[in-house]
Amino acid sequence: MLILTRRPGERVVIGDDVLITVMGVSGHTVRLGIEAPEGISIYREEIWLAVKEENQAAAAADPDALPLSPPQQGEEKPPETES
Amino acid sequence: MSVTFESVRFGTVEISEEEVIEFPRGLVGLGGLNYTLLNRNPGTDFRWLHCVEDPALALPVVPPERFFPDFTLQLSDEDQAEAGIEDLSQASVYVTVRADPNPFEITANLRAPLVILAGRGFQLINTAPDAPLQAPLFQPAPAGDAVRSADAA
Repeated sequence: MLILTRRPGERVVIGDDVLITVMGVSGHTVRLGIEAPEGISIYREEIWLAVKEENQAAAAADPDALPLSPPQQGEEKPPETES
Repeated sequence: MSVTFESVRFGTVEISEEEVIEFPRGLVGLGGLNYTLLNRNPGTDFRWLHCVEDPALALPVVPPERFFPDFTLQLSDEDQAEAGIEDLSQASVYVTVRADPNPFEITANLRAPLVILAGRGFQLINTAPDAPLQAPLFQPAPAGDAVRSADAA
């Protein structure tokens, strides 16, 4: 991992078109400004990880795992599936 | 013009070209470029967002307002600009669904909805305060009937 030391107002350039600016430092918090071309997605890591996990779990679904009968219309009726 | 693709879940699928939705940034962690919405669970609100190029890549989705009357969508200015959405009310919004054999364990991701407009789609971060990653799609009957959750045991 490349480790750089930067002061507020200083920048890091990644490739030719991603620009990261240290906006400010306050205690344990660093504010970053990020400029990147359209098409590059920028997320906080924890959000990116969580959404990725939800997407992967959703994509593992089998059509049979979805209820074919009520209560799929949002009505608060539990299924009568006693067997 | 029609588009034909293979699906491991649904076999050969034929759609019209207008039904193809381009996701220029793909879905988070899954990629994919061209998707379409399939209605393979008729009579329900479930749809399948199916990748046209990948037979195995498909996710169940629902329109959030059908299950979450209080659902609100707020986007950052950057996301809204990139998605080219001037008026959010013009867009179709879907949320991904984590399926489960027990209906009460099925959840929807309100934090990262799919926003679709004019043949293009984006999975964007919903900045609204109450937008959980796993919102139960179905609520068990109100108080007093909670014993049902023991059925799964």
